Amino acid sequence: MSNDTIEARRPGALLQRRRAEAAGWMFVSPAVLLFLVFVAGPFVFAIVLAFLKWDLLTQPEFVGMANFERLFSDPELPGVLWNTFVFAFASIVTHLLFGLLLALAVNSLISRVVGYFARVAIFFPFLISWAAVSLLWKYVLDPTFGYVGQYAAMVGIELPNFLADPAWALPAIIFIDLWHTLGFTFIIMLAGLQTVPSELIEAARTDGASSWQIFWTVTLPLMSPTMFFATIITFIGAFQIFDPIQIITKGGPQGSTTTIIMYLFEKGFQAFDMGYAAAVALLVFVIVMGVTLLQFLGRRRWVHES
Amino acid sequence: MTTGTGDVLVALERSGRRKARRRSPGGIVVDVVLVVFGVLMVSPLVWLIVQSLTQPEFAFASPPSWIPVPFTLQNFVDVFEYMPFFQQFGNSLLLAVISTAGALLFSVFAAYAFARIDFRGSRILMVVMLSALMVPAQLVIIPIFIMMRQVGLVDTLASLWLPALINVFQIFFLTQYFKTIPRELDEAARIDGAGHFWILFRMLIPLSGPAIAALAILGFEASWNGYFGPLIFLSSPENMTLPLGLVTLQNGFGAAPAVVVFAAITMVVLPLLVVFLAFQRQIVESVASTGLKG
Repeated sequence: MSNDTIEARRPGALLQRRRAEAAGWMFVSPAVLLFLVFVAGPFVFAIVLAFLKWDLLTQPEFVGMANFERLFSDPELPGVLWNTFVFAFASIVTHLLFGLLLALAVNSLISRVVGYFARVAIFFPFLISWAAVSLLWKYVLDPTFGYVGQYAAMVGIELPNFLADPAWALPAIIFIDLWHTLGFTFIIMLAGLQTVPSELIEAARTDGASSWQIFWTVTLPLMSPTMFFATIITFIGAFQIFDPIQIITKGGPQGSTTTIIMYLFEKGFQAFDMGYAAAVALLVFVIVMGVTLLQFLGRRRWVHES
Repeated sequence: MTTGTGDVLVALERSGRRKARRRSPGGIVVDVVLVVFGVLMVSPLVWLIVQSLTQPEFAFASPPSWIPVPFTLQNFVDVFEYMPFFQQFGNSLLLAVISTAGALLFSVFAAYAFARIDFRGSRILMVVMLSALMVPAQLVIIPIFIMMRQVGLVDTLASLWLPALINVFQIFFLTQYFKTIPRELDEAARIDGAGHFWILFRMLIPLSGPAIAALAILGFEASWNGYFGPLIFLSSPENMTLPLGLVTLQNGFGAAPAVVVFAAITMVVLPLLVVFLAFQRQIVESVASTGLKG
């Protein structure tokens, strides 16, 4: 017999218990209500939508699996998925590599002023809206207006028109994303480095370990949970990249930068093919969840648990 | 998932307060590399400001000029001809304030219930809500768009802040944070006759200052910079937020000259830089006074 049931027999305790129940539900009710209206409800609605054909003007029509059949035989889809995965993969590799290197550098700095400058310079772009960043970089990478092309021309190099060249547009977007979002990964890495106890590093150093050995045997294993977290966050964010693409290239040239969310936007909010867009959105959901689960499954292989 | 918000801000500050290390030959190389990297990172922003201050005929000159000659403020004046800047600034501000404050209020209530009151169904409710973190925003935005259209809220700010009032991540983060505050404090307060609201507003919230500040900053930033939502819901220039207004400025009907676009971007970015530099110090203080460690 638990204490709870014995106490519950006393009338006062029962009343108190009821009061707690009521108070609990009272405090969560605004969140629950909003959750039902703006998260759970729309989620169910989205699944239903995927079985409809609806342009929002005429009556919705039930079409069964037609949207999914169309999705999987869509000649554009493989290219769109390829672009998205290339972007996400490149994003993870570049962010983690540069984020870690810069965090290590800032962490072992001599000058405080340089440290302050570096942190501000690396982190600040992350706070600027994608809208402003995209418009700015459109000009920076422009062969005639931008200073990159102008400096290159001065030394006799003719750079491609990055954003208008199907071979260069996606790499250019990857680069712009690195400039914009690196600060976030960098700060996460810096936070991870702070959790590495300096006593451990000092101890290893007194034992005669080289910096390189310390990095591989102490720092990196202790950083692996941070890197794991950064990998997941970067993947989820990168897979859903949209703003810079919609603003800079609109998915072009020749579809070379059409990622899955850009594609969803075109189908849903430009063609008003809501059912098909919902099917695309469900595909995004399944892929993001699947890859995230796989990352969790593979976690034991490389993430150090203390 | 708790790393990344509070932790991140703490680390940002802590690394800034680090003491200068002893000199080593490799260290100077690191310094130089970082300065060069920092300059490269900042260069697009410097270029932006320089062009926005240069007369249109002389802007984007080759070779690139890093000094605004001939200097002019006319581009900034012209911004107001092409876009309702103050109106859009106001919209962005209103949207960010309502979204951030509203979401925090409801998150605080829910987190209080999850962390402090034993009520039937709380575990299941938490699990259901947490699983929603996996749902991409783009999946639910289609039904929300249809709903907003039904109730006639498309092209209003409400279509953006209403869905923003629920933030599952905030609820989870705050629940975890509240749990780190000893429950004995509540019991002591309760013996003194305090009710739930008193405990929440007079005790838990003040004790969670840094966590709430971190969430507020992140929420404000997300709302202030949001583009996907405004792009889908807003269509009239006078209802737009700044990010959407900037993009429209550049590809709308009477597209503005590049220097004017640059002046507008500068008007958005410069205050942000000022706020960022100021807010860094503020975080240092809240961290120092309460010792947040996620």
